[in-house]
Amino acid sequence: MNTSVKNIVTAVSASAALMASGSALAEIKIGIAGPMTGPVAQYGDMQFSGARMAIEQINADGGVMGEKLEAVEVDDVCDPKQAVTVANRLVNEGVQFVVGHLCSSSTQPASDIYEDEGILMITPASTSPEITSRGYELVFRTIGLDSMQGPVAGEYLASLNPDRVAVIHDKQQYGEGIATAVKETLEEKGVEVPMFDGITAGDKDFSSLVTKLKQADVDYVYYGGYHPELGLILRQARQANLDATFMGPEGVGNKDINSIAGEAAEGLLVTLPPAFDEKEANQELVKAFEEKGEDPSGPFVLTSYAAVQLIAEGIEKAESTDPFDVAAALREGSFETPIGTVEYDSKGDMESFEFVVYEWHSDGSKTPVN
Amino acid sequence: MLDAYFLQQLINGLTIGSAYALIAIGYTMVYGIIGMINFAHGEIYMIGAYTALIAITGLAALGVAFLPIVLLVALICAVIVSSSAGWAVERIAYRPVRGRHRLIPLISAIGMSIFLQNYVHLAQGSRNMGFPLLIEGGFRFGAEGDFQTSISYIQITIFITTLICMAGLSWFIAKSRTGRACRAVSQDLGMSSLLGIDTNRIIAATFVIGAALAAVAGLLLGMYYGSIDPLFGFIAGLKAFTAAVLGGIGSIPGAMLGGLILGVSESMTSGYLSGEYKDVVSFGLLILILLFKPTGLLGKPEVEKI
Repeated sequence: MNTSVKNIVTAVSASAALMASGSALAEIKIGIAGPMTGPVAQYGDMQFSGARMAIEQINADGGVMGEKLEAVEVDDVCDPKQAVTVANRLVNEGVQFVVGHLCSSSTQPASDIYEDEGILMITPASTSPEITSRGYELVFRTIGLDSMQGPVAGEYLASLNPDRVAVIHDKQQYGEGIATAVKETLEEKGVEVPMFDGITAGDKDFSSLVTKLKQADVDYVYYGGYHPELGLILRQARQANLDATFMGPEGVGNKDINSIAGEAAEGLLVTLPPAFDEKEANQELVKAFEEKGEDPSGPFVLTSYAAVQLIAEGIEKAESTDPFDVAAALREGSFETPIGTVEYDSKGDMESFEFVVYEWHSDGSKTPVN
Repeated sequence: MLDAYFLQQLINGLTIGSAYALIAIGYTMVYGIIGMINFAHGEIYMIGAYTALIAITGLAALGVAFLPIVLLVALICAVIVSSSAGWAVERIAYRPVRGRHRLIPLISAIGMSIFLQNYVHLAQGSRNMGFPLLIEGGFRFGAEGDFQTSISYIQITIFITTLICMAGLSWFIAKSRTGRACRAVSQDLGMSSLLGIDTNRIIAATFVIGAALAAVAGLLLGMYYGSIDPLFGFIAGLKAFTAAVLGGIGSIPGAMLGGLILGVSESMTSGYLSGEYKDVVSFGLLILILLFKPTGLLGKPEVEKI
């Protein structure tokens, strides 16, 4: 598990030393597709900063097979229509490897294009199971699935012995998928779910929903979706004196929820990938981020770093920049990355990925609860 | 079904409805005078909310914490900036093309709306910005343990401010000289101009008044919801426009009534059916009204002018 970074450092620098400096013949373009603007741009920041750092470090160590990596960054605004447009742009630019996209609803339509065009894609953030369930050869991820995260959340809630739990979602692929998984887990465990309801993403007024939650007399509310809506629900729930604990997936766990919900964010439960930045082996990398003035603690920073690293190591292992060869190499190999040892199954999902329950605080910090 | 739950949903609906009504005034006044829809109005409301937030943040940085002062300054800033934006919309997107084909100002207003949206996007960033919680707390009714109906102070503020604005506007239209001129222009633009009314000034004034009320709504709803983003004017504008049409476009009491009906129907739908059907019901209502009473609830049928 240790010295995952050193691994590439040594591997890559050894080959680089042999090939001597200035031998970068052509550049390998890595497309980075995610939201730079729009309501979930803060997740995009995590993705871009992680991927950039990986590209920078790999290049500093001589690149991949003597070639430098070049980032081609595009903004999909987390909008499925925009995702298709930028995917086509990457195709036109001759990109063969993509780190992205972020939102499942963007990743899915974009992955159709990549698969058709023979481009390898690793999403560092999309958790919808659907994405890897279509028999695609070139689609991978460095994150777990809703079908893993939902049960973790559901089992945790069930372990608290609640009387009644409401499950709310934003009707989007990510939110509804995860909410459904939570509901099924809760019902299996015999917890009553009196309310399973959708809201409209982008809505601002949740007073009716909060009133309904109050009427339903629930102890816990699970919300499947992103922070802009949950932040408002928390705030409006607090104003209406709703006495229930909220829980959400990693889509709500970032510091922006604090600026919206303020004090009301205290005590929110969130399932997140484990804090990779706190792992012993990653301290050197964490320092590199801090020297650049960037925050490595977001859930998608190191998954994006790992995605770039996997592409680089896949190319070296396959000794080819052909995406199909690289995909085959990724499926065969076992890779040491900042997010742990990565091994892929035939669908392109990681063999194992762990989610942890955190308690969120109103100052934007979090503490693990189990 | 007059229980606490119903009452709570009614309060929620009336709050949001009265804010819709404030925005709807802008649509209905402009339509009443020049017979056109100001599609940039939702953005004026959004700009009002942003200005208020900037003012509140600025005052907090200066150490001013006395609530009435903060609210008053935020309100004045929002009204001034929004009114200027409203005036500019009229000057840039309407006046140069007035008297041409009706589609031309419609398109130029949509252009204005896209411009303003993207301008705020660039200037303020596209992220949701949290609005500080200024007015906290509220009244609670009902026994402890039961379902308690609550009215928060901010809901009361929204309701009362709307009433004051509406009363002020009605008085202004009915009694003041400019108000009289407004009514004259809305009846016959050409004739009023012949009788010595400065119609350009009156038309600009309606845009400004509508924008000022939208700015009030921007401040109130920003505080009530808790966050704003550059796109939130669009859907609010659409809802307010629906309210204006529902009540009878061109009629000021109609805008009030339309806003309240829309707000209550939305909160009842989320409360008794599901939040997913909220927009279905409110826009379905619009279609029904347009089918069976095309002039809206309080609108007067347009008399063909000869």
